[in-house]
Amino acid sequence: MENFLLKNIENPDSADIEEYLKIGGYKNIAKAFELEPKAIIEEVKKAGLRGRGGAGFPTAMKWSFAAADPKFPKYLLCNADEGEPGTFKDRPILEKNPHLLIEGMVISGYALGAEYGYIYLRGEYPHAKDVLNKAISQAYEKNYLGDNILGKSIKFHLAVHQGAGAYICGEETALIESLEGKRGQPRTRPPFPVNVGAWAMPTVVNNVETLCNIPYIISIGSEAYSQIGSKDCPGPKLYCVSGCVEKPGVYELPMGTSLKDIIFNHAGGIKGGKKLKAVIPGGISTPVLPESMIDCPMDFSSMPKHGSMLGSGAVIVMDESVCMVKVTYRALKFFEHESCGKCTPCREGTEWLRKSLGRIERGEGREGDIELLQEISENIMGKTFCPLGDGAAGVVLGMLKHFKGEFEEKIKAKGSRV
Amino acid sequence: MITITINGKEIKLEKPVTVLEAARANGIKIPALCAHEQLEKYGGCRLCLVEVEKMPRLQTSCTLTVADGMVIKTESENITKARRGVLEFLLINHPLDCPVCDKAGECELQDLVSKYGASAGRFKEEKRKTPESHEDRILARNMERCILCTRCVRMCKDVQGASALTIVERGGKSRMEPFSRESFNCEYCGNCHTVCPVGAILARPNIHNYRPWQIDREVETVCPYCGVGCSFILQVRDESIKRTIPKLGLGLNNGLLCSRGRWGYDFANNPERLKYPLIRKNGKLEQSSWDEALGLIVNKLQTIKNTQGGKAIAGIASPRCTNEDNYVFQKFLRTACQTNNIDSVSRLGFASAQRYFEDILGQGITANMIAGLKNSDVIIVLGGDPTAVNPILGLSVRAAARNGAKIVVIGNAKGLERFKTLKVTPPVFKEADVLEAVLSEIAKVKGPRGEKPAIDKRINELAGKYRTPEISGFNELKELLLSGKSVSIVLGTDIVQRTNGHKALFAVAGITYLLEARLYLLSERANEQGLIDMGCLPDALPGGRPLNINDFRKRFETSWGSSIPSDNGLTLMEIVDASRDKKIKALYVMGENPAFNIPNNPYVKEALSALEFLVVQDIFLTETAEIAHVVLPALSWSEKDGTYTNLERRIQRLRKAVNAPSGMEDWKIISEVSNRMGCKMQYRGTEEIIDEIADISPLYKGLTYDEITKGNCLWPYKGEPLRGVISEIPAAPEKSDDYKGDFYLVPEKLLFHSGTLSRRSSSLNRICPEPSLKIGEGHAQRLGLKDGDNVKIHASDGNLSIKISTDRYIKDNLVFISNNFEGRGVFSLLRYSLDPVTKAPGLEGCEIKIEKA
Repeated sequence: MENFLLKNIENPDSADIEEYLKIGGYKNIAKAFELEPKAIIEEVKKAGLRGRGGAGFPTAMKWSFAAADPKFPKYLLCNADEGEPGTFKDRPILEKNPHLLIEGMVISGYALGAEYGYIYLRGEYPHAKDVLNKAISQAYEKNYLGDNILGKSIKFHLAVHQGAGAYICGEETALIESLEGKRGQPRTRPPFPVNVGAWAMPTVVNNVETLCNIPYIISIGSEAYSQIGSKDCPGPKLYCVSGCVEKPGVYELPMGTSLKDIIFNHAGGIKGGKKLKAVIPGGISTPVLPESMIDCPMDFSSMPKHGSMLGSGAVIVMDESVCMVKVTYRALKFFEHESCGKCTPCREGTEWLRKSLGRIERGEGREGDIELLQEISENIMGKTFCPLGDGAAGVVLGMLKHFKGEFEEKIKAKGSRV
Repeated sequence: MITITINGKEIKLEKPVTVLEAARANGIKIPALCAHEQLEKYGGCRLCLVEVEKMPRLQTSCTLTVADGMVIKTESENITKARRGVLEFLLINHPLDCPVCDKAGECELQDLVSKYGASAGRFKEEKRKTPESHEDRILARNMERCILCTRCVRMCKDVQGASALTIVERGGKSRMEPFSRESFNCEYCGNCHTVCPVGAILARPNIHNYRPWQIDREVETVCPYCGVGCSFILQVRDESIKRTIPKLGLGLNNGLLCSRGRWGYDFANNPERLKYPLIRKNGKLEQSSWDEALGLIVNKLQTIKNTQGGKAIAGIASPRCTNEDNYVFQKFLRTACQTNNIDSVSRLGFASAQRYFEDILGQGITANMIAGLKNSDVIIVLGGDPTAVNPILGLSVRAAARNGAKIVVIGNAKGLERFKTLKVTPPVFKEADVLEAVLSEIAKVKGPRGEKPAIDKRINELAGKYRTPEISGFNELKELLLSGKSVSIVLGTDIVQRTNGHKALFAVAGITYLLEARLYLLSERANEQGLIDMGCLPDALPGGRPLNINDFRKRFETSWGSSIPSDNGLTLMEIVDASRDKKIKALYVMGENPAFNIPNNPYVKEALSALEFLVVQDIFLTETAEIAHVVLPALSWSEKDGTYTNLERRIQRLRKAVNAPSGMEDWKIISEVSNRMGCKMQYRGTEEIIDEIADISPLYKGLTYDEITKGNCLWPYKGEPLRGVISEIPAAPEKSDDYKGDFYLVPEKLLFHSGTLSRRSSSLNRICPEPSLKIGEGHAQRLGLKDGDNVKIHASDGNLSIKISTDRYIKDNLVFISNNFEGRGVFSLLRYSLDPVTKAPGLEGCEIKIEKA
């Protein structure tokens, strides 16, 4: 399969609009403008595109809700707050292929009737900010953004808004709060952002990768697009592989490529010829899979059947030398730090888990600690305001499910390394 | 109609409320900490989890809106486990210091843990530690106890509209903090303290000095401060008030209070209270017996009445005293003393304006339901800041703004700056010109209405004369007013205090008339409306009945069994003048401090000193009491029964909560004097007085305490002028002055103080300990002054050293000082000349120079 999302990425000047135009960039805008907005939504629906941010919600459905809402203005927000540990799939697009994202947003904005867009950019991506701002001004100059795009009375304005470094702002309602200048905390749903979003107007929040798939669908048509990869969630997918592999990096592969294939074929296998121990397949919030369970297609519908989730497609590979208690502790340290503090189980539970895990990790574990970890996690699971708490509890529950022995040993051995 | 099932019980609902509201309305208890009746849903504490059929996980009932056919379970093993889990989480960082926590006994967390919680905690790690903050003067913050329900933040932002609080940091480090860091520096309403479910926000005035279960009594009564008349519960222990507690569903304030209402009660506990009668002997006030003091009063008044006639006697009634006190007072003056020289400091604003409006538009025109403000789509605010003068009414204006109403401020109203749509700043003291122009513009579109020919005629006359003022925002102002479908006008008394105040009042009346607007007249004292209803006016009997209409007077004469002089008496300022001119020999002052509360203090003092006999009934030795011949100790509002009538004409019960160590009810003292003077008044209690009022006043007809207790007792609105339809609007010759000076001094109405009561409240003094000169930030900068600098101000005859406080919202060259602090009230500098129509003092034009000290 030819790369689309990462096309031309080896070109050092790929972020320049001239280079993008050379490879046929921005052509899809004109093509899309020939269609009625409804027809674009229909194309995306037929293509079967599902959101690449992690939840896999059908993109066309989200759009149609916002398009059907009679309130104006509508907003299109690009979620570029790539904060999930292990995830760096959007970064090459943002830094190397920004015009693809702009092209995708212009078409999407046209499709759902949004005339204003924001790219909510992760606070830790300062370089991407410069690249995006430059790309946006180039796009304005060439009339791909503005009041009369390509001389038609179609309007789309775009700006970058940089976050201040909060994981929770990747959650779409917290992202909206933050964009509005408020404290980054998730909102009560319903109402959903598609009806009451940014400044209480209909708002669509799509991931970077999702939006970059739109020009592709327009380009090759829904029919051809739907033939790529898994049947019920087709299209190209970016997998970012990190950890104990020979060739860590971002790989554009058809959706549904097997996890084993990704690790051993594309990422070059385990580093130093060591033995694989476990994989976190879709970013830290997805449950860990032991070596024995990695023969599974990496897509939205297959992964739950194998006990995990596709998430953001961030594959974290751990070899035999990795201590799972330490991994768990490190993960919980992250979740505690990133908990927004709004709801009790997440705020207090992650702290309790982190403190207990830290103690076990330091060799101060006690009898009953495993049962306690299990119960704290169960008390968090399913009771928090947003999925952040579920993610934290899921890590502990997953680790205890597959690697309970390591925890027991650590508690017994009082601190010696496994 | 929505039908849902909770715990097997079928419930029908008219509106799509939340599951929590539906359950609670049907007596099903669901524990919740972040949810609160007055606040928007939040879903943070996760205690109110319930099971809903066809939903995969537990749902928070506080955020879930009911849908037809929903089947809900509020109790199950799963739910109990989840709740216990949440409570355990809440307790891991909550200190278990209930034995030293003020909230213990009424702590929602404590109650829930004892009902749902585990018997012991399993958290063995270290707890977060945050020291209790006592940086603020009035509120202590204990962030260890805070459970981050954010009720305080939501209350402050969404209901109070002060937006003084926020949550800082995130996750477990989150804590509530005022925007100004350690000190709250806010409106000090304390509503955050009311809604805090735990002991995280504490009231320093009563910290560690009470236990909720050690209260002797709880008495429901009405606030003594402003004309809104909020209800609260007084908690009393050892004959001292411990707290005021507002309550959801109680009174028109429905769980809210302002700073004065919440903290100001402690003036009644002040040790400087008068304890025994005083008589001036050899130039000094000395302790005497009641008998001696009353004997002297009777003797003096009798002598003066017999030698000079009743006209040589005058009385000043009090908008802080009850209806019963004021009724008895005016009856005493009219019968025993044979004088109609009765007025009060309400003449400075409320009474003057109210009388003017009622004369031309009809009785009750200024008395509208505060709740109605929320339904307005355009609200004009002028002549004062409702959020300072009548704070709870001010909250309704803010609420209306949040509901989408357009708020137009004419002049200065700092508390509405963040809520206003438009602010118009008239040239200083020229409000009337702007209002007349607005009225004429409206008349072009709407008038004449034809219902009241006199008003139509006068509007017509104005139309020929007005000039469109050259001020920014005038056209928007006009457009906004005309766009309103439900217009309310909130009128402060500042514009009444002009020599031509009646001009502005007519313009407001005209706008009200043409737009069929609702008019709200701000009232600084608790019983200004009641005082008028009781006939403490020189020209009207109880019920607003004009004195000089024989039929009315005759009816009262028959009922009271005494003749009543038929000539109108003197108004407040005229009483002062007549005292100085020695036409008035004796003045009886009940619960008022004219030597301080009437402008031009030096002149007033001189006038009062010229009196042959001055009696003062009060609870403190005020500036007036100091120069009196006899001083009698009265009772504070918390020590007596009675009724107050608020600015919406709602009659409310005042209940005795504390047994006073000394002093007597005002009505009782007056009755005693009256009896000794031969006019029998044999009331055994306030109930008998209200019976008499109910019998004689058309407004209070048939009223009983029982009925008042039930609430919603408003006197009927008839909308007819009591003197009949007038053919000519009273007016005075035009007066034109130019105000080209640097600065003009005017009175400021403070949120934290009110007249001479609040300065005896140690809590309010902690919040606002000293007077200041408020000045526009730009003007201060021009003078090289910054906030907090000391300055000396020079008026035409008088100087004052004072600290300045800058205000970035004030753009005109008015500067403000309040009239609250001893020796440094604005009325010591302001001179006045009377508005010939309303007889209110015009305070405009006091030019001052400001000099850095």
